[in-house]
Parts: sequence; C-alpha cells; structure tokens
Amino acid sequence: MRYPKRHALLSALALSVSLFSCAGFAATKLTLVEVITSPARTEMLQKMLTAYKAQHPDVEIEVVSLPWGQAFEKLGTMIQSGQYPDVVEMPDTWQGLYASNGMLADLEPRLKSWSGTPDLTDKTLTMARSSGGTATMIPYGFYLRAMFWNKKIFQQAGLTDAPKTMDEFMADAKKISGLGNGISGYCLRGGVGGTNAWMMFMAAMNGSPDFFDKDGNSTLTHPGAMKGAQFLVDMYQKGYAPKDSVNWGFNEIVSGFYSGKCAMLDQDPDALIAIKNSMNPDDFSVAPMPLGPNGKAYPTIGYTGWSMFKQGKNQDQSWDLISFLSNKENNLTWSKFVGTLPIYKGAEQDAYYHAPQFAGWFAELNSPDYIPLTMPTHLKGWGYFNSVIVKDSSQETLLGQNDTESMVKDWAKYLTKEQKAWLATQK
Amino acid sequence: MMLEVSPPDTAAAPRFPRLRALLEPWVYLSPTMVLIGLFIFVPMAIGISYAFQNIQLLNPFDTGWVGLDNFRTMFDDRHFYAALRHTFNWTATSLILQFALGLGLALLLNREFPGRRWVQALVFLPWAVPAFLSGLTWAWLFNPVIGVLPYWLTDLHIISEPYNILSDPTLALYGPVLANVWFGIPFFAITLLAALQSIPKDLYEAAAMDGASGWQQFCKVTLPFLAPMIAITVMLRTIWIANFADLIVVMTDGGPANSTSILSSFIFTTAYRKLDFGYASAMAVFLLVLMTLYALVLLRIRHQLLK
Repeated sequence: MRYPKRHALLSALALSVSLFSCAGFAATKLTLVEVITSPARTEMLQKMLTAYKAQHPDVEIEVVSLPWGQAFEKLGTMIQSGQYPDVVEMPDTWQGLYASNGMLADLEPRLKSWSGTPDLTDKTLTMARSSGGTATMIPYGFYLRAMFWNKKIFQQAGLTDAPKTMDEFMADAKKISGLGNGISGYCLRGGVGGTNAWMMFMAAMNGSPDFFDKDGNSTLTHPGAMKGAQFLVDMYQKGYAPKDSVNWGFNEIVSGFYSGKCAMLDQDPDALIAIKNSMNPDDFSVAPMPLGPNGKAYPTIGYTGWSMFKQGKNQDQSWDLISFLSNKENNLTWSKFVGTLPIYKGAEQDAYYHAPQFAGWFAELNSPDYIPLTMPTHLKGWGYFNSVIVKDSSQETLLGQNDTESMVKDWAKYLTKEQKAWLATQK
Repeated sequence: MMLEVSPPDTAAAPRFPRLRALLEPWVYLSPTMVLIGLFIFVPMAIGISYAFQNIQLLNPFDTGWVGLDNFRTMFDDRHFYAALRHTFNWTATSLILQFALGLGLALLLNREFPGRRWVQALVFLPWAVPAFLSGLTWAWLFNPVIGVLPYWLTDLHIISEPYNILSDPTLALYGPVLANVWFGIPFFAITLLAALQSIPKDLYEAAAMDGASGWQQFCKVTLPFLAPMIAITVMLRTIWIANFADLIVVMTDGGPANSTSILSSFIFTTAYRKLDFGYASAMAVFLLVLMTLYALVLLRIRHQLLK
C-alpha cells in the first residue's frame, strides 16, 4: 500500500517541478537599468521595449530608471549587494571602472556573428573596445563638441562669422563682452561637467590628443597644455564669461546661451534640443571648434551605450535585447531623440541630420583637422577626477584662490598615478 | 567539633534576593535593549570600525585595518578644516535666524486674531515640502535668468548687479542658509507656541498689576518659563542643522571652490564620489563626537535651568 502512495507523491512533485520550470522558461525576466533619465526618454525607451516584447512574448523586461545625479552611487550599491542588472546603459566615464574590475561581459564573440557589425563605423567599434581592447559595450551614439554661436549678438559686436582659431575665439569673446548689458562672450562651464572644456582647450593649445606618454606620465604639464588651461582662466578672469559661470552646469550654460547672456557655447548635439525650442533657427548656428596653434582642434567625444554584466543570468537573451536596441532603425530613432550622432556608416545622409545646424559636427567628423579627444575613462579614478577634483580645483583657480600651474600639476600627479596603476594591471 | 548547618529556607523566598532585585528591571527591559542594540548600536559600531579600516570601493581588494591613518589624513586635509569652518558658520547662522524668527512667530501666534487657525496651518507649509524640492525651488529663485531674488538683492544694494549669489564664494553659503531658515522656522514656531500656551495667564495679570512693562513681562515671566524648552529645541535643531546637507548638495553641491561644503556634505562626497568609505567614516566619527559633546553641554544647561 505504501508504494502507490509514494509513487503518487513523486508524480505530483515531478509534475509541479515541470510546470514551474515551464513557467520559468516561458517568461525570462530581464532587468534593464537606465541611468540618464528624463520622463520623455524613459517613455521612448519603453516604446522600443514594447516593440521588442511584441516580438518576444516570452520575455518580461523590468526597467529601473536611476536619475543621473545619483545613478553612479545607486548602480554601485546595487552591484555591491549582488543585484546585477542584465542590461545596463553604460556611460563612457564608468566603462573603465566596470570593465577593469572584470564585471562586463565580453561582447566580441557576439559581435562576430551579429549582422549589424559590418555597418558600424570604425569609431563605434573603437569606443566599444576602449577599455582594455575588448568590446564591453555597444555605444548608441556620440556626443561630439562643436561651437554654438549667436549670430545676432555677433552682428551687434560687428562680427560676421564664428571664430576659426583660438586667438580669434579670445578676441571675439572680448569684443562681445565689451557690448555691456550683461552680455558675455563665452558660456563657461565652471561647475559639474566642466572637465571636457579644460581638456579640449589644453589639447588644442598643446597640439596633441594624448593624455600620457608611454611611461604613463601625464602630459598636462607640458607648456602648451598649461597655456590651454591659462586660456580658460583668462577668459573668466578678464570678464569674457559671466561671473556666475564659475558654478554653471549643463542647464545653466544652455539657458545662458539661449537667453542671450553669453554668445558662444561649446556643446554636444543634445543641447540642440533645448536651444532649438527656445531660439529662432536663424539666430544661431553651430561651427567646428576653433583650431589651435598647430592648425588642429580636439573636440571631445563622449558616448554612452548598452552593456551587459558577466554575472547576469540571461546572457543570450540580454544580448538579443541589446542587438535589438542597437539595430540600424532603432539606433537612428534613439539617436535623433536623445540628441547624439548615430553609430552607423552613412547616417549623415538621413534627412534629419541634413539640417544646417548639424553641418558643424559633420565638418568635424569629415575633416582631418579635427581629432576627437577621448577622455581616459579606462582609469578607475576618472569618475572622481572628473566630477570632484577638476570641479573644485578649477573653481579655486578661476576665483583666483589658486594658480593655474599648481592646479594643473595636481591634476597631472593624480592622473599619472592612476595611469601607472592601470599600466601595471596590463602587464 | 561539629559544624551546625542551618537548613535552607524552605519558603518560596528567592535564593539571591539582592541579585534578583537588581536584575529584575533589566529582564523587563531586555527586549527593548536587544532591539536598540541591534538596530542602533550594531550598525553604529560597524560604521565606527570603518573609520579604522581602508575601505575604498575602487580598490576592493586592498582593504584592512589601518589604525589611526584615516584620522591623520583628516587632520592634514585643508578641505576638512574648511568644511569644519563652514559647518560652524552654516549651523550658527541658520540656527540663530531660525530661532529668532520662530520665536517671533510663536509670540505673534500666541495672541488672538481673526484667522489665526489658518495662519497657524500655513506656518507648517515649509515643513511639508521635501528638502530636495525646496532646495531646487530656492536654487531657481537665485538664478537671474528665471528667478527674482538677484533683482531684489540688487535693488536692496546687497549686490551690485543681478547675478547668482550661489556662484559667489563669499556669499554662496547664504543661499542654502536662507532656504534652511525658511524650512526651519515652523519647528521653532510650533514648539515654542506650545510652550507659551502652557504658561499660566495669571502670572501675566499679577505682573501687570505690579506695573511690569511688556518687555519686563517677557524677560521675567516668558523667558524663564520657555528656557528649558528653548534649551532642548536648540540642542535638537543644532544637531539636525549640522547634519543636514540636503539643501547644500542640491543648491550648490558644495561649490564654488568648496566654499559651501560642510562636514556632512564633504562626508557624502568622500563616500559616494571618491568611494572612500574609510576616510568618510573617520570624519563621521569626528562629527559624532563633536555633536555628542555639544549635546552633553546643552543637557547640563537644561538641567540647571530646571532647578
């Protein structure tokens, strides 16, 4: 009598196990963390995910939206506590940290077999592999710096065109600031996110996009680079940038530009969204960055993309989602929406990117005189350098509490130490 | 010779009456003590232990006990001293203004006037707004592109032209201070109003009959009655303000050039941007000791006042 009972029990158990495993198979649950958020952006992402889910009814996607201001800490805390998201929106500034800690999945084998790979631009693949040479993310677009200029104010100051060299840039800023009425030449970003401008102007005056020599010593202390830093300090201290701008972040520089408080702004295509909404398109234009003494400029290039964690449980499904978000059609929709330059060859042929405002960026992309400057984001300490060290010490210098030379020396010391530590891990 | 051993007391009397009497209250208290220990002291002890360790999230494999190294770094760090100075400035200015205005408001609300209930309810408003939101709102008010404050400050000849004082290292701290004063007045107004209403009215009648002026009544009747309440509210508020970095982080992020970074915002930056939890904990322990000493002094003063 006991055997049949046990048999029944076992069958019930087997049945429930198979039912549960079927259910598990039927619904793969993916977690996607987005870190640069706005309600409109999240809505756009959800729209794309809905299209994905329509094709994959067996996949559930949970979107975790972290507001940018706290995203770094929150994602860090999630990972510390072992909650690895499957797919994560990865900014270039964090790629180095996560990739060098060995947390990001190697995408090389997947890129080999993906149909989209041959159409990606070389720059896209370079950025994907920028940490340690192995692809750890698929960028979804580029943020390339170019110079917005206010045609109306230029006209008032008797100027006809955007500055082409650094000298012209300083001279134009001086002329415009002379107009009075609280109008300044340059919308300086002295607060959060100002690092790019410092590095860009230092590279332009130094005539090199390299941050380090082959031994890992920082090149920021080279006399040319030092001149570049002094260039920005002079711009502020001589009153060619608004007094407030020592603390300006993205929103302030963009609103400073469209409200006519300052006439020149170096920014990425994403600033165009707000500026287009608030200014007459005939009143402003976007020119390539001014050239340095060696006839070259080094506009910074930034990118963000999709990565997956090694520890994620659903590797194949995660890649499938990333390749869907990154396919030609979706990437173009997303790039236009978030204001980046797309990752595929020939995307500038699209009608949207034909608008005259984009000419400055494509001129930079197509001329050998403009060499995109990539930040050394492979350094573990880059995030802190970028968001705290540069901000605090450059503000001290702009306000005259410190001198340019010791500021740059401090930066060089920090970066040299970081680079040497990184080089040691590469041997 | 035989030893005489008296038989044990057979009654239900306890074996060790003194010990039992001593232990009994502790047994009753034990659930509370276990809970307090678990949820307050254990995390605190762990936090304090971080101060003596090297815990940098960017170098997760380079951890270990470092003794007083973090404290040595702290006492060599000019940013720490600047933050300490700003903490005193921020706390004292905010506290004095909050207290003076809160007391004034409480005295006004202690009188009968039409619509007093409505006013009383309105006074609570700043308290109901999340700190993050009030920080953002105040930051916008100080922005000359969209806010009005720079124009008012110019009209009052406090600044020479309408610019954002949050970008001026000498004035920036007063932006968050103003927001904090707005935010903190209700606390003093409500608590002091409650204390005012508990003062017997006949004391004022007696004082008036003796010919005391309004000011004398305030000094000789109101203040002595309010003193213990003032001591306790001032103590609580000081600790809250000194630890309250939300408005500063939202409005200035410690800038420009660290001119508004206070100890708690500096601790936040060190822990969550530099990811150096060891050093951040060392500063947190310093702040904890400072606040504990301050609380002890104020509790002593309150004790004297109650005598």
